[in-house]
Amino acid sequence: MDEVTAGQSPAVAMRSITKRFPGVLANDSVDFEARHGEVHALLGENGAGKSTLASILTGLYRPDSGEIAIDGRRVEFHSPKDAMAAGVSMVHQHFRLAHSLTVSDNIVLGDSRAGWLRTSARTIDSKVEQLAKRYRMPVDPRARIWQLSVGEQQRVEILKALYRGAHILILDEPTSLLTPQEADDLFVTLRRMTDEGRTVVFVSHKLDELMAVSDRVTVLRGGRTIGTVVTRESSPAELARMMIGREVVFAPSKKAQDLARAKVVLELLGVSANGDLGIRALNGVSLSVRSGEIVGVAGVSGNGQRQLAEVISGSRARTSGDVLLAGRKLRNGDAEEAIEKGVAHVPEDRMGTGVAPSLSIADNLILKSHRRAPISRLGVLRRGLALANARDLMKRFAVAAPGPDTATRLLSGGNVQKVVLARELSSEPVVIVAANPTRGLDVGATESVRTLLIEAAARGVGILLISEDLDEILVLADRIAVIFEGRIVGVVSRAGADVQHIGLMMAGAS
Amino acid sequence: MIRIQRRQTTPRWLLFAVPVLSLVAAFIASAAILLIADKDPLATYQRIFDRAFFAPGALTGTLVTATPLLLTGLAAAAAFRMRLWNIGGEGQLYLGAVGASGVGIALQHQSAPILIGGMVVGGLVAGAAWAVIPGLLRAYLNTNEIITTLMLNYVAGLVLLYLIFDSQSYWRDLSTFTARQFPQGKVLADAASWPSFDLQFAIVPFGFVLGILAAIALWLVYRSTVFGFQVRVLGDSRAAARYAGIKSRRVIVAMMALSGALAGLGGASEVGDFRHVLDPRGLQQAGLGYAGIVVAALARYNPLAVPVVAILIGGLANAGYSLQGPDFPAGLVGVLQGTILFFALGGELLVRYRITFASRSPAPAAAAGT
Amino acid sequence: MNNSIVVVLAASAIFYGTPLVFASVGELLAERSGVLNLGVEGMMLIGAVTAFWSVQHLSGPDWVVLLLATLIGGLAALSVSLIHAVLVVGLRANQIVSGLALTIFAGATGLSSYVGNVARLGGQPAKHEFIGLNVFGLQDLPVAGPILFHQNALVYASWALVIVVLAYLYRTRTGLHLRAVGESPETADVMGVNVARYRYAHTLAGGLLAGVGGAYFSLAITPNWIDGMTSGAGWIAIALVIFAFWRPELTLVGAYLFGLFSSLGFVLQARQVHLPPEVFASLPYVMTVVVLVVVSTGWAKQRLGAPAALGTPYVREER
Repeated sequence: MDEVTAGQSPAVAMRSITKRFPGVLANDSVDFEARHGEVHALLGENGAGKSTLASILTGLYRPDSGEIAIDGRRVEFHSPKDAMAAGVSMVHQHFRLAHSLTVSDNIVLGDSRAGWLRTSARTIDSKVEQLAKRYRMPVDPRARIWQLSVGEQQRVEILKALYRGAHILILDEPTSLLTPQEADDLFVTLRRMTDEGRTVVFVSHKLDELMAVSDRVTVLRGGRTIGTVVTRESSPAELARMMIGREVVFAPSKKAQDLARAKVVLELLGVSANGDLGIRALNGVSLSVRSGEIVGVAGVSGNGQRQLAEVISGSRARTSGDVLLAGRKLRNGDAEEAIEKGVAHVPEDRMGTGVAPSLSIADNLILKSHRRAPISRLGVLRRGLALANARDLMKRFAVAAPGPDTATRLLSGGNVQKVVLARELSSEPVVIVAANPTRGLDVGATESVRTLLIEAAARGVGILLISEDLDEILVLADRIAVIFEGRIVGVVSRAGADVQHIGLMMAGAS
Repeated sequence: MIRIQRRQTTPRWLLFAVPVLSLVAAFIASAAILLIADKDPLATYQRIFDRAFFAPGALTGTLVTATPLLLTGLAAAAAFRMRLWNIGGEGQLYLGAVGASGVGIALQHQSAPILIGGMVVGGLVAGAAWAVIPGLLRAYLNTNEIITTLMLNYVAGLVLLYLIFDSQSYWRDLSTFTARQFPQGKVLADAASWPSFDLQFAIVPFGFVLGILAAIALWLVYRSTVFGFQVRVLGDSRAAARYAGIKSRRVIVAMMALSGALAGLGGASEVGDFRHVLDPRGLQQAGLGYAGIVVAALARYNPLAVPVVAILIGGLANAGYSLQGPDFPAGLVGVLQGTILFFALGGELLVRYRITFASRSPAPAAAAGT
Repeated sequence: MNNSIVVVLAASAIFYGTPLVFASVGELLAERSGVLNLGVEGMMLIGAVTAFWSVQHLSGPDWVVLLLATLIGGLAALSVSLIHAVLVVGLRANQIVSGLALTIFAGATGLSSYVGNVARLGGQPAKHEFIGLNVFGLQDLPVAGPILFHQNALVYASWALVIVVLAYLYRTRTGLHLRAVGESPETADVMGVNVARYRYAHTLAGGLLAGVGGAYFSLAITPNWIDGMTSGAGWIAIALVIFAFWRPELTLVGAYLFGLFSSLGFVLQARQVHLPPEVFASLPYVMTVVVLVVVSTGWAKQRLGAPAALGTPYVREER
């Protein structure tokens, strides 16, 4: 029908796509259509079914029912290879790159047009360079992936798709790891591609960037299509309403306070530390957090945030400098002491670090208190007490789970985060280090996590909020410190914060 | 089309059905190997089971072979559950035998309780000490324990040979001319023989009783001690353990020591219960440490299941020894053990994943609401 | 001069190291695809026993029989490695336990012993065996002669193997795909590489080469059959892969180093140097531990780390 009215088939047409996972109906009869030469945004909350739909379009998953047409021709993808042959490529949120191989190797990987022997490295390198120039994505074809920055790695992903002649490119949350400036560069590249008639499907939940980059938006909610709108004719408020299904209640914010006279509860003096590979990750960081204050640490992922959190919580040794808790020095690399003295830590990787996934909720709730009375006595655990503790905390923090014996890996992201917070907040901490505490959570869970942090601050706890989400820092933090390549490059109070300026600092421009 | 999906929960009956079915399947598969060699599988199996369990005195003999397997099985189960791959039970058992016989020789004039108690401790300590070497390397230098424990098995075997055949060591009998010509270990005093318990249908060696106690203790350690809790956390996620302030290095070394001590106890029991002498050839013949890994894997690393599996595998081994001869092929026992383990490993898939057979065409959308 | 201890040692290091080259290059291929196979010892023993059975039962010119026997040894070990491949690639079983099960199944108390005893191979002298060739008539060349030009055919085959595998890994598309599969199966999968097929193929290749290495024991080192005759070479081969940082050319160096240790004992004994034989016998094992310790330091790990996906099953659609 569209063929008749438009006179030209849409680049992508997906009809009545249904995909079911155990216990979840991820896509429920979803319709989606994108034209040639447009940036088409796919908008929805976490769990709305965006990623599943994208994975179906790239042949990674197969739909239980429904059909896909590319350029009006019905297709059936059994693997990503089929999709690629039809010109569909995807840039995943977690890059699919082999780190020990070079850029060129990654780009030609699996290219079915090449012969049995490898094309000479020089030919490939120059081809890659040409492509890179054409789309303004400078990258060294001979570099190995592990030597590249996140932004460069993303370019390799896009080049990989273009090298294969993809005319439909799907980008899954492409800006989540980029600085504002890098994101702007990406948008320029995308425009070049649509000018050539290619189609870009842009998966995101960030309204601002969708408004800036897309031509049309399709909104998903709860696994269903809510509708498609032309971006120019819509507004952030309308899109938000479609996405969430109700008027947007903006997540709670903290009133900025001047706490210059409150007691300093956490102080870092010239702290340096190495990353996992022995490379310097933190470089002379000095910072302080006062009682009742939330200090936000803004920065692009991978600039030392994880190491900062681990050094404070004692799970990583520092190479120099001191960490003072309420004026007293913490022993180097002693997580047990930090826990006992009142450092709570909400880690970035909640499943795997924040909890032991196969252990029960009850076990995870005593993860840090299992050494001391009353949970254990003379090396013997008191299981009854642990269970009672779990029931109590699950009720207080509204953890939705069948019972305290449930394996934690079976919980949703939001509930896992509640388990972590329940444990950390119930330990009556002096300081909380929270790393990306709301990443990947839906609106409801985000709201409750933020409320819990604000309440803790109101009780006089000092909070160091490390987040890659600048918006989150802007509504929660009293002061904002910007981290770049392991250094604090600037500290501003929220009142005087200028987003443009912070963005520049995040990118390393002084 | 076959689809494999991870199970959210595992039905309890599967945990029993899978090992039993793998046993049956293994016997069926091994029958093929017997048929190729022109042996009658049914008759062979009947002889095996008869000699393992039913013939008079068979169960007593089976307990003799099951005792070291029980202890090395527990050693493997303890460490593997933490995903610490100690496959050095073999060498730790040798060292346990060295330790126990050393103490047995040194205390030979003491009363039986002191002597036997000393041998138990000697075996535990020597096994633990040998296991602590790879444990320390793993904990502090992050050296892969699979390879180091394995290499140390070979070194331990050579230590045994050296002590008896190529040195004038404390363990070697040098008292007579024949003993100097045909090297052998010093035979222990009668008081050093461990007691056994006659239960009418079988005679239970002291080492087996110790093994049962160790199994219960290990289960309790895992279930309700701080150490056991830390081991469980560490086994599930090293990152979570570090985050929780668990001293991973100490736990790793302690677990290796515990595991090595259990295997060492197996060596002590070999000396105290059965051999009464440090016998390098005898100890090395059976591959008791490796068989312990089979036992542990079949028991799904559950300490309370280890004794049952040990009796079963020990029965097979016992039958293998007593049937050894021209009409009974050597190596059949290893084939059976290996095959059982293969099927158990394959069956694990049923425990962890749900397998569904779906038709190739996509199913109609269920209640497609708009 | 050609009888000087250094020349003899060098020649016998190559002689004794060669089975390790085959087995560890095979294991290297499997590990590059992400499959750890601890069953090398068992597969080698299967290779040894079937190859020996073949030379006793086949007739024909020496080289034909030996070629066939070596192939049969390799193929027998390949079929045993198929069990491991099915279990860990197809059924996602624990690679460590499955590899151990393979060694127990096939090893000194298992199938290899069963076959050898059923066929009554023990105590028979080999009817055909690999002997040193006089390559280009250069065997009497000073120093280089005995070391390089008077080895058996399998030694030269092992050199060819290393060159072929090197070219395969770094000069062919399949080799590139293999490296990607071991490094990041998700990436390879998305790029249209069939991860399971690569893992199956290279696990089987590992089996084949382990079998050839085993055949070397019964056809070249001690031309007869004894239960458990590889006495731990399979385990050393696994260690060698780590020692060689997953690079085929370095397995050659490592294997000869270990060959040196195993021959050192014999040579020194012949020269009336008295040391307990256990000291030399244990050197390869102790050296392996020492090398492992060095390799596992942070510095080496970062630059030469194992294939990142080694030991982990790959599942596409799991949620």
